[in-house]
Amino acid sequence: MLTNRRKDALVAAVLVAPFLAIYLLVFVWPTIQMFGISFTDAPLIGSGEWVGLDNYARLDSDPRFRTAAWNTAYFVLLTVLPGTIIALLISLGVSRLKGRLQAAILALFFLPYILPVSVVYLIWDWVLNFQFGISMHILDLLGLERIPITKSREWFMPAVGIVTIWWTAGFSILLFLAGLRSIPVEIYEAAALDNAGRWTTFRRITWPLLWPVTSLVFTIQLIAQLKIFDQVYLFSQGGRPNDNMVLVYYVFQRAFQQDQGGRAAAVAVTLFVLVVVVSVLQFQLLRLAGGRK
Amino acid sequence: MTISGLLKSAIVATIGFAGVARAEETVVWWDFLGGGDGVRMKKLIEDFNAAHAGQIKIDATTLEWGTPFYAKVQTSAAVGEAPDIMTYHASRIPLAVQQGVLQEITAEDWAAMGLGQGDFAPATWDAVSIDGKQYAVPLDTHPIVLYYNKDLLEAAGMLDETGKPKGMDSREGFTATLQALKDNGVKFPLGSVTADGNFMFRTIYSLVGQQNGELMTDGEFLAGDNGDKLANALGVLSEWTTAGLQSTYTDYPATVALFTSGEAAMMINGVWEVPTMTDLNAQGKLFNWGAVELPVIFDKPATYADSHAFALPLNQGKEMTPEKRAAVLEIMSWMSKNSLFWATAGHIPANGTVTASPEYAAMEPNATYSTLTANMIFDPKTPLAGVAGPIFDVMSTYFVPTLNGEMDPAEAVESIKEELNAL
Amino acid sequence: MTATGIRRANFWGGVITALTILMALIWAFPLYWGVISSLKPEDEVVRPYIELWPENLTFQHYVHALTATQIGAWYVNSIAVAVGVTVITIVTSMLCGYALSQLQFPGRKLLWWLILASFMVPTQALIINHFVLTSQLGLINTWAGIMLPQLIHPVIIIVYKQFFDQVPHDFREAAVMDNAGEFRILFRVYLPMNWGVTTALSIVCFIWTWNAFLWPFLSVTRTEMMTITVGITQVNDAFGVYYARELAAAVLAGLPVALAYLLFQRRVTEAITLSAGIKG
Repeated sequence: MLTNRRKDALVAAVLVAPFLAIYLLVFVWPTIQMFGISFTDAPLIGSGEWVGLDNYARLDSDPRFRTAAWNTAYFVLLTVLPGTIIALLISLGVSRLKGRLQAAILALFFLPYILPVSVVYLIWDWVLNFQFGISMHILDLLGLERIPITKSREWFMPAVGIVTIWWTAGFSILLFLAGLRSIPVEIYEAAALDNAGRWTTFRRITWPLLWPVTSLVFTIQLIAQLKIFDQVYLFSQGGRPNDNMVLVYYVFQRAFQQDQGGRAAAVAVTLFVLVVVVSVLQFQLLRLAGGRK
Repeated sequence: MTISGLLKSAIVATIGFAGVARAEETVVWWDFLGGGDGVRMKKLIEDFNAAHAGQIKIDATTLEWGTPFYAKVQTSAAVGEAPDIMTYHASRIPLAVQQGVLQEITAEDWAAMGLGQGDFAPATWDAVSIDGKQYAVPLDTHPIVLYYNKDLLEAAGMLDETGKPKGMDSREGFTATLQALKDNGVKFPLGSVTADGNFMFRTIYSLVGQQNGELMTDGEFLAGDNGDKLANALGVLSEWTTAGLQSTYTDYPATVALFTSGEAAMMINGVWEVPTMTDLNAQGKLFNWGAVELPVIFDKPATYADSHAFALPLNQGKEMTPEKRAAVLEIMSWMSKNSLFWATAGHIPANGTVTASPEYAAMEPNATYSTLTANMIFDPKTPLAGVAGPIFDVMSTYFVPTLNGEMDPAEAVESIKEELNAL
Repeated sequence: MTATGIRRANFWGGVITALTILMALIWAFPLYWGVISSLKPEDEVVRPYIELWPENLTFQHYVHALTATQIGAWYVNSIAVAVGVTVITIVTSMLCGYALSQLQFPGRKLLWWLILASFMVPTQALIINHFVLTSQLGLINTWAGIMLPQLIHPVIIIVYKQFFDQVPHDFREAAVMDNAGEFRILFRVYLPMNWGVTTALSIVCFIWTWNAFLWPFLSVTRTEMMTITVGITQVNDAFGVYYARELAAAVLAGLPVALAYLLFQRRVTEAITLSAGIKG
């Protein structure tokens, strides 16, 4: 038995080793390094002098960091809850359909999710183009003033939020559909016998039974949107990146455009801690909320 | 000799032989020439490759202009992955030298190229020199100009007898011209790249220069009344926006498209769009057009200009072979000596021999706006300046809101001052 | 339920169905618009009115993208990187998932905890040090360099573990009786029983990698080494105004994944739900 144990451990070591090696190399080591250089004035490549907490202290009075933090929070607000609700509504609609029609309609909603972000950007940048975009022609037809959607401060984040919801909703819809399918038909039949209305059925049956999926979708969205970069970077090209700054973009700007690895790392650490704290908090909160039901 | 030694020498011999057999030196080239001038540069590269078949081959790539380009250069040089040669803005050389991104062009290099200080205007030579050392070979000077649609201006009665726009000598005069165009049904009398602060830096800096203003005096930004002069410059442009005389939130491609499609009657843009117009015109797809020096809005004519130059990145951990260096020098020398064709891209060649030639003197529309060379102003020579540099970055952030009526010019100037002096 | 009640329910059900279908069409319209615009000549796309179908249908932009740009090289890079990441990730995750599911070894709990914790790690925050690491390894501008930080998807291990956990113990006991080694058991028993999972996970992993932007964007500085999702936004090959040409490149970049989805729709949707930890 003992030899068996030892043999198991040996085999396990071999099986786990490749993953563990990669894990240490691309997760653990860079994380340690990130904390390390955040206390120095290093450039992107090369070492620097120890500066203690200077890089962090500077964040406090750094207007661009404030913009980045605020925009990130704003973006999360604009996308996470609205995105979850929209996906839920769509999945409720789609789940009523049957067979081929359902597959076709689902495909239309899902297709954007499968596309690379740069494709999503090129398409929407064209649709929203202030001079030639079809959305502007529609505003013209409605007799409304044109809106420089990707170029103005007020519209940028909401627009990128909408595009992001459009892009990622397919994923959430699939999860909701899976959740809806797992609710036994008998329960609905019983509710129908009780003459329960559509809303009552939803509130009493669908919503509570769907709660695990809802919280999952919400969690995935929240974590993903805190890490927003791609869309903001792309839509800001040739525009006003400094007004649209988000945290990851700021890390990128400091490190790769201004060659200040140390200061960039301080921002990265802030983001890192933020994501970890939010994940833990949210996990606990959702568990509580789920437990109460 | 051991077996492995034998093997080694065999390998060396094979490689050496292969080297002789295909002695062609491939030179990796990056540029940011995405405007109409990019087409001309492609042609120059083709000609160069044809003239050097079997010896040197340029492998060229065009990257996004501005911040993306310079960020890529900087990170690639740091990890030894930069190209062999690249285009560079002279305005950014102080910053590049401070960052250690560029190789020096030594006296031997100049001798090998058959070029030297005497071939360039003093200001141009000075722009590529730091502490008496040169870091780039100037190719051109490229100011901004006013493009105009002759047909639309004529229809509005705003063309003078020499075929130039009226009202070029004062703020009131030029505004009146714009108004007349508007009244005559032109949608955008002036097409401006109002969505891109980076671009507008040139126009605004020109207008500051027209008031004898300076960005930086004794290491301080916008000291004294320079701040007010910047506010004045922003004021004119935002006034045109408020009066509906200028296209708002327009990005670069859209500005060019508005002008070429006839929706905008005039456009302030770099000379590098000259080939776009020439080519469209040749295809019969464009109206009658012209390009002139910027209007004098304030006290005196002044136009912002920068220089395209060739520079050699300092690749960390990689030594350039003598063969490669010779090839790169040949490229820079050839390009400089053949820059008459580059002038068809609108630019003013940096090589004095070229600009002194009768062919150049006869070239249009270059000749029309050549008067401006006397009135050109350049970026302050500091590591904070230059395309995509810190000053550029800070200022452009405030230009977009101001030019589109979101922010008051005075307020913008205050914020710019604050941020610049905190650099 | 009364007859009118049913009729009313049917009526509202019909309305909801109609709304869903309408919404789907609106939802997909930008895709249609992007494709249609790429089939128009440049002077047609900037017309000041809406033109739902090209007046002069042209494929010139596709010809240009395929012949005059580096899109071919970008496809090759994207495919190489996506296949590489998928194979390595799937194999390492499968081995690890198997060990976690079937073997007792010291540190098992700790490893499981590490994997769960890594969900919280924002890889975007690690870009600086990923870049430093990759350059120290001399892997900037190589496929290996683009792949390296993308090689970990903890969820794949978790899904494998869940599926291996479900394999009845009799199978394993029988195999152990036969004195079969662990590798034999894994590859002859556990893997064949979970081919569906492997296919599904491979599909999502491929799609994720194909669509990745930030890291490929940072780790490549030479245009010929770019992946297609990066290349189409970074290389300015259009002189003057070329909206339709850009859209044609976009369509080409999205086509492989879109086709894969349309062809294997059921598999892909299955794979996606699986990747979220929901068993389909």
